[in-house]
Amino acid sequence: MEGILFPKGVPEGRESLQQYRSRGGYEALVKAVKGAPEDVVKIVADSGLRGHGGAGFPAGKKWQFTRDAPEQPRYLVMNGGEDEPGSRKDRILLENVPHLVIEGAVLGAFAIGASKAYLYINAKYEAATQIVKEALAEAKAAGYWGEKICGSNFSCDIELVAAPHNYVAGEDTAVIEVIEGKQPKPRQKPPFPVTVGLFGKPTSVNNVETLANVPRILLKGAAWYRGFGTADCPGTMLFSLNETEEVNKPGIYELPFGTPLRYLIEECGGGMKAGHKIKAIMPASPSSAYLKPDKLDTPLEPNAMRDAGSALGCGVVHIVREGTSIVDELVRVTDFFAVESCGQCPACQMETKSLAMLMKKVQQGQGNAAMLEQFGKLIAFNKGKGFCNLIGMPGPPIESALKLFPEDFQARMAS
Amino acid sequence: MKELESRIKAKGLNDVEVKQYMCFGACQEGPNVVVYPEKSWYAHVKTEDLDDIVAHLAGGPHVQRLDTIDSSLKDLIYQLLDTGVF
Repeated sequence: MEGILFPKGVPEGRESLQQYRSRGGYEALVKAVKGAPEDVVKIVADSGLRGHGGAGFPAGKKWQFTRDAPEQPRYLVMNGGEDEPGSRKDRILLENVPHLVIEGAVLGAFAIGASKAYLYINAKYEAATQIVKEALAEAKAAGYWGEKICGSNFSCDIELVAAPHNYVAGEDTAVIEVIEGKQPKPRQKPPFPVTVGLFGKPTSVNNVETLANVPRILLKGAAWYRGFGTADCPGTMLFSLNETEEVNKPGIYELPFGTPLRYLIEECGGGMKAGHKIKAIMPASPSSAYLKPDKLDTPLEPNAMRDAGSALGCGVVHIVREGTSIVDELVRVTDFFAVESCGQCPACQMETKSLAMLMKKVQQGQGNAAMLEQFGKLIAFNKGKGFCNLIGMPGPPIESALKLFPEDFQARMAS
Repeated sequence: MKELESRIKAKGLNDVEVKQYMCFGACQEGPNVVVYPEKSWYAHVKTEDLDDIVAHLAGGPHVQRLDTIDSSLKDLIYQLLDTGVF
């Protein structure tokens, strides 16, 4: 089955404007700006496109909320802050199909009635940033953004913003803070950005992959898009299987939602290297619950993953091979969140640092039963606190590991 | 913290050690001083409160006016300390 983002697989190098046009590039924009923005919102809503940054919020609904907000002006922000360990799908899109992303962003701006769009790209993505700059220059010269786009009355300016490379800088309100020239620290919600966002105005923050889906949805229709994936979750998603996962063919794979996890690992990834066996899978690294290999046939789809006890996130699939201690794994996970907590919420600071400290003690063979009990207590105490979701992220990996692999913890108890 | 240390020393309390803790989750109510293993928690501590805290450490009364932290947070941190993690 052909993909949506990469109909012929991930292209080699950067796709030029000419190459993009030859496969229907910018046709959706030319057509859309002749009509009403509401039509774009409706088609995207009908398609069932969800956000691909991790939360999975329906894109059409987000755009409608932004349109419905009375304040003016409105802003569109493309979120390419991508800093989850192992995630590089947004970078691939920016580097290889920059015009697809730009067209998606301009369509998004048109849909919500924004005359300014910001492309927020991780500062460590130097090549991607340069490629997008060049593509923006080509697209502007061709009339695809700027004044009177494609001869219409719609005008939209675009500005590139470098995203600090830390995890929380990809949270939507932290993105807004950075664009406003402040530190990458999430805001308390509500209000949500769709009503009070950038400079206090209605703002739609959309992930790179989400926006990249829009041009083909508009060109081919909502029903076509619904031909991919499942009824609840149409479309495809880019899944990352990195070199560190010890599969034979690491890479970025575009698969319809609902594809079994086994297909990704065994068919796309070519199975485990050197006959290694799988001990556990974390479908949304680093913040989802672990699954045992008996869940390998779980469909890659948010509801199915939730029913299996985990989550889909933004598709960074992490495999733990047999012979690895889950405690060592969790030291990596808890250290990550302790470092990445921005520190503004005392509860988050306390939770993430305490979890990391406890996990290190267990790893060092100094654990005891009371310490193991503290993991759950810390997680429960802090649930729902803090301005962003980071406080809830270490919980699923730790609690699932305690449940699925108690022997790994027992092996590290102090004698 | 240095002032607390010096007043404890001046009082001759050789069995009291002052240690910095990584995070009590109560910065908004800081500075915080937790007396452990006795389990007293003093919040919003100012220099002028130190003599009363040191007097408590020397066997004097609990400094009730500084005992303002929510009991559920206190219990959580005390249990964490009881594990021996710190």
